[in-house]
Amino acid sequence: MMHRLGARLLGALTLFMASTVMAQSDVIDAWCDGDREARVGSFKAVLADMVETHETGEQPLIARAMLAFRDGDLLCAEGTAFIPRDEGFQNVLTGTVVDEPPAGASAPFLNIPLRRALDPFASAVQLLTGVEAEARIRAAQRLGRSLGDVPPALIEQIYEAEENPDVVAALENVLVPALLASGEPQAQQRAIATLSQSSTRVSRRALDEFLADADETTDPAVITAAEETRASIHRIIQLSGVATVVYHGMSYGSVLFLAALGLAIVFGLMGVINLAQAEFVMLGAYTTWFVQEILRAAAPGLMEFYLFIALPFAFLAPALVGVVMEWGIVRHLYHRPLLTLLATWAVSLLLINLVRVTVGTQNLNFVTPEYLQLGFTVFGEFSVTWSRLLSIVIAGLTLVGTLIVLYRTRFGLRMRATTQHREMAACVGVSTRRTDAMAFAFGSGLAGIAGLALTSIYNINPTMGTALIIDSFIVVVVGGVGSVLGTAVAALGIGQLNAIIEPQFGAVAAKVIVLLAVIAFIQQKPNGLFPKKGRR
Amino acid sequence: MLGLIAAVTLGLPLLGLGPLADTPIGLSGYQVNLVGQVMAFALLALAHDLVWGYAGYLSLGHGLFFAIGGYLVGMHMIKASYVGQSGVPTFLEYMGLSEFPAHWMAFEYFGYAVLAIFVLTALVAFVIGFLAFRSRVVGVYFAILSQAFVYAAMLVMSRNDTGFGGNNGISGFGSLLGMPLSSLEFRVGIATVSALVLFMALIALRRLTVGPLGKLLIGIRDDEDRLRVLGYETLWVKTGVWCLSALLAALAGLLYVPQVQVASPQLLSPMLSIEIAVWVAIGGRGYLYGAIVGAVLVSVAKFWLTRFMPELWPFILTGSVLFVVVLLRNGLMDPGPLFSRRRND
Repeated sequence: MMHRLGARLLGALTLFMASTVMAQSDVIDAWCDGDREARVGSFKAVLADMVETHETGEQPLIARAMLAFRDGDLLCAEGTAFIPRDEGFQNVLTGTVVDEPPAGASAPFLNIPLRRALDPFASAVQLLTGVEAEARIRAAQRLGRSLGDVPPALIEQIYEAEENPDVVAALENVLVPALLASGEPQAQQRAIATLSQSSTRVSRRALDEFLADADETTDPAVITAAEETRASIHRIIQLSGVATVVYHGMSYGSVLFLAALGLAIVFGLMGVINLAQAEFVMLGAYTTWFVQEILRAAAPGLMEFYLFIALPFAFLAPALVGVVMEWGIVRHLYHRPLLTLLATWAVSLLLINLVRVTVGTQNLNFVTPEYLQLGFTVFGEFSVTWSRLLSIVIAGLTLVGTLIVLYRTRFGLRMRATTQHREMAACVGVSTRRTDAMAFAFGSGLAGIAGLALTSIYNINPTMGTALIIDSFIVVVVGGVGSVLGTAVAALGIGQLNAIIEPQFGAVAAKVIVLLAVIAFIQQKPNGLFPKKGRR
Repeated sequence: MLGLIAAVTLGLPLLGLGPLADTPIGLSGYQVNLVGQVMAFALLALAHDLVWGYAGYLSLGHGLFFAIGGYLVGMHMIKASYVGQSGVPTFLEYMGLSEFPAHWMAFEYFGYAVLAIFVLTALVAFVIGFLAFRSRVVGVYFAILSQAFVYAAMLVMSRNDTGFGGNNGISGFGSLLGMPLSSLEFRVGIATVSALVLFMALIALRRLTVGPLGKLLIGIRDDEDRLRVLGYETLWVKTGVWCLSALLAALAGLLYVPQVQVASPQLLSPMLSIEIAVWVAIGGRGYLYGAIVGAVLVSVAKFWLTRFMPELWPFILTGSVLFVVVLLRNGLMDPGPLFSRRRND
């Protein structure tokens, strides 16, 4: 976890601690009637006292009073002060709780410069004594905006003692700039060591600024350390950048693979390009949304798992439409692939407009489950988001599942036979009609699963398929017709290419360059990466 | 059909401007404009049919050439309206330009613009056609690849920094050849010219397709391998016809844009390019007339229905495509399949 520095008390801190301990009544007097000097002094003194004596556990009353004073909630009356509590008003000196503050109680007025001077001390007290991690993080963030007169060494001490990793992280943002700016070589070295723990752009920028500001007063050893650390951080950031690109390419490739797989299978089997394939992806996404809405209405407890509940439906709904389409249209058009193209385009137009009329054209809202919203940082700036990982996992499982269906089931055997040699397969008793219908349904269902995987990554609307269909077809062309593995390799490759180009030149350029690359590729390998075996 | 188009050619000036303009059968400027647009579409369909109906290659990217013609004639009209004054249209100002960039040079001359349209179209068509035909891309592959080209072009032209007005395209044209675009004379004139060009293209293509080249094309469509075995180099035949078809499509764009007064990425939408194929499929492939019939019927229906029942149009289009493709395989020109008993040949 966190590398801990040995606790050190520096001269500055001891000096700071040497300020006299004030009696509580004097503190209250300073708050209620003191001038600026007295008030700031009292805050300093209380903070010093806290550093000496504070035990974790309950937040001391005086600390509460300080925060209330800063926020303008503290009421002065009769030589003492009251702070609001849930059960009434608590007397800061005696600790007793009354229902109503005495008549004439008033909050002392704090002007803005004074509040600015007091705030860092109050935040430091909050950091020391706050019971909830949330409150401590907020205090650390306030300190990050301005450290005021609070010595960095004190913050360092708090940082050493802090157990909660989130608070530690928040404190780092406060501590590192403070230590770097302190001008003390040892403190600066410690800050650089801390920075080397987290290799992000933020820490690189901090070092950049430090090195830019360095002059002859800065210790040369510190400068060398800073330069070395910056170089190593820079390397890690570049590496993690590469990893991020690869990961994004993989997730986009997964979606392409899912969308193109059904296309490739059906094309290999019947020579039919289904232009409505992208609309089946859309149907799968919409089915997922319907399942989510039904669960929201009927069983809110299951909402968390709607993606898993929707999976079979997202497969079956498009598969059903596919069966109807095959029976009504495609089977009448064998040996006329171009007319089939137009017919399937007409179906895609129909599906788009049916959805448009029934559900509407706006993007659908999906409730991303809690467990998919976040991710984790692997190293440097490379973090894995669960929703993208899910699409990769779904694609992997689909690949395995499809291979099992193709090579381990009777249906797959018939499909492969028909793909390789339709007439011969028919001669040995394969019902090619039924195989076609089933394969069409299977391919459509796979597209539906792609739709489900897209719900947490893309905008889901009726016209989402337009871009997808061309990309999927290009994947089929590159992969080789009817080859499952070819489709996978091509999808990952094109996804990768897209992810590499897009950050550099933008999405449009990525599409155009990919297209040109594919044209060049076809010049070399007209039948794709994995050409179909068998007679043609 | 020829007679019909000739009648349109002669009738437009008579009904729009001539002695019959104010009679009940006279046409308003709007109606003349519609007829002119439909003529441009018919020319586009004719170009498409030459490739699909005769050579058997379905192009889903003919909008690319249509758009080249449209955009370049738009450039001409803009450049011509800026002659003798400084400054540039807003879409170029957006690019941070204060004067026309180099590739706009000489566009104020109509002749040069037409030349540029033909050269650029021929070049683009040659590159696409040559690469595709050389690597023997056939059938469905060719269709989707051509669609990919038109889609990529649409994405490029939709960007604001391409210098062609981004999503809104270029508009604000004043006049063409000195005639204001909105004047009745110009509308009747360009609609008549469109009908005349269609008439001439139809005659020319008929001569072409009944001759030896037509036989070759039909051979390519029906059995290309056999032609190759017989020693024909089909690559050059196909590339040549592809370029000719592209030039006609660009000509259609040249006639179309001054009538709608805007050239936008809409011209490049994959949807429009597919619709061209749909016109040809509905009318009937390989007749030349069929393409014109399909284009006229579908676009007139579209104009009419999108005015009165915009929601219904996509469904009607879907229905007609499915009806024609499944039950009338050869389009309206050949009602035979409706009455034959053989369904699955």
